[in-house]
Amino acid sequence: MKIKQKNLAPYLLLLPALALLLVFRIYPMISTVIESFYTNNLTADAREFVGFANFTRVLSDQIFWKSLKVTFVFNLINIPIQVFLALVVAVILNSRARGISLFRSIVMIPIAVSPVVSTTLWKTMMDYNAGVLNGLLALVGIPRQEFFLVKEQALWSIVIVTAWKGIPYMMIFFLAGLQEIPVAVLEAAKIDGASSWQSFFKITLPLLKRVFAFVLVTDTILNLILFAPIWLITKGGPQLSTNLIMYETYRRGMVYGDLGGSSAMLIVVILIVAIVLGLQFLALRTDD
Amino acid sequence: MAFSKNKDLESDQTKYKSLRNKKFFGLVLNRTVVYVILMFLAVITLLPLMWAVAASFTPLNKVFEYTYPFQFKALLPNDFTWEAYQNLFDRGMGNAIKNSLILAFSSVFFGGIISALAGFAFGSFDFKGKNFIFAIVVITFMIPTDIIAIPSYMLVRRLGWLNSYTGLIVPSLAHGMAIFLFTQFFKGFPKELLEAARVDGASWFRIFLSIVLPNSKPVILSASLLLFVGQWGSFFWPLLVAPTPKMQVVQMAVATAQGEYRTLWNELMAGALIAAIIPILIIMPFQRYYIEGISGTGVKG
Repeated sequence: MKIKQKNLAPYLLLLPALALLLVFRIYPMISTVIESFYTNNLTADAREFVGFANFTRVLSDQIFWKSLKVTFVFNLINIPIQVFLALVVAVILNSRARGISLFRSIVMIPIAVSPVVSTTLWKTMMDYNAGVLNGLLALVGIPRQEFFLVKEQALWSIVIVTAWKGIPYMMIFFLAGLQEIPVAVLEAAKIDGASSWQSFFKITLPLLKRVFAFVLVTDTILNLILFAPIWLITKGGPQLSTNLIMYETYRRGMVYGDLGGSSAMLIVVILIVAIVLGLQFLALRTDD
Repeated sequence: MAFSKNKDLESDQTKYKSLRNKKFFGLVLNRTVVYVILMFLAVITLLPLMWAVAASFTPLNKVFEYTYPFQFKALLPNDFTWEAYQNLFDRGMGNAIKNSLILAFSSVFFGGIISALAGFAFGSFDFKGKNFIFAIVVITFMIPTDIIAIPSYMLVRRLGWLNSYTGLIVPSLAHGMAIFLFTQFFKGFPKELLEAARVDGASWFRIFLSIVLPNSKPVILSASLLLFVGQWGSFFWPLLVAPTPKMQVVQMAVATAQGEYRTLWNELMAGALIAAIIPILIIMPFQRYYIEGISGTGVKG
């Protein structure tokens, strides 16, 4: 039951939030669309309408396509890994083992740590010469790995960097979902002779469908626009092997001053985000 | 006959016992596996932080003394010194912490109120254009702010807000995700309570302050943590709109400490730890409520 009001109360309540969203979110979005049809750079004031020239320039640029490919590969690797491991960790942390709350607190620490800091920590851990990770590998006789320094390993290294914060962040949504499942349902299944695997696949997983959809969408948005690790560690290199699309738009706009091209690229990114999310919504549609 | 009955019972008992043993060992095995995994997770989580603590209390030339090949000593301060922290504070870390705290708490306070009011409108009222307005909110949290950073920067520049708290705070005050959390929570808020107060002649603003807010602790907590962590961790926006040293925030202090050619590792780790410890200390006590807040609102229909 909703309160029916003829007066202005709900509009007044919404006013501050809506005004801010329109000015600082919707307007810049529209502005990006407009900018993509103009030549512009940060220094010169002259603007010129150029139609689709920015788009054709960007779309005929090899670096842009290479960047899209890297972004695609990265997400295809990273999102399934993060979502799957987040679910596994959530199931383990949901067990009623002794001292579980201590472990829960520890595993959740990275959520509070900012992207800049978590990236900085792992950049140091994975330093070629003296990083702790290579030091640990040396203990088991594995030679030094180059991580961010060679194009064969750089993208995988970024996967490792993002996992430390990404997995716990997605994990809490699964954990919250798991804790909502009534214990009685699982006990009933146990009495009926279901093994724990059976009840996990037949009861727990279906009940987590909504959470799963939410986590997938959130993780997709976060990873499609990943920026901090690239900016702080690889700057898109070596040989553009980690040149994710958000870094490429930054490079084009802020480093080379091509705001028109950068805006055109952002429009493409927004379209990609919209298409991917649309597909995920279709695939995971819930009937209620 | 009685004898054979006994025998039956006996064999039943042994059967039961062996079954129980099997179950018992299965359980112990399961539990051992669970603890091994838990320890592994704890070590991966804590290792970078522990190493950072050790490195931050170590003179620069000794930071990497025990890391290759790794020795346990690498996790303890080598030749303990406050030098890294002293240098950081000499170069304005105190100011950066002050800036970041002001920004984060203003975001929590003003952003929280604005989002709560909006969530209250969406969750408890029916009005014309509701679906359309809600769609705008959803779009804004699907389009990440980094994507529109450059036009937002132009806007803030035109408003004359560069290098000011206003420019750093105001654009992110209306937080789509926080509004969403409040909306989901207020959908379940008992309408009878609101109507009773309304009949008694209270204004909606009064009702919001005296009835709604005091009964919304879990969602206020979740939204506050969201706003705090978001503002505390933001780096791209401050980099664009407030690059002067006076306005520097903690994240920028950490980011800019990583030189292209030479990095002061001990200071970098000290800075990273300062940036990490403040939100950790603020969030840890509320960790349980955070999960409750999410399970009560965020992902439910």
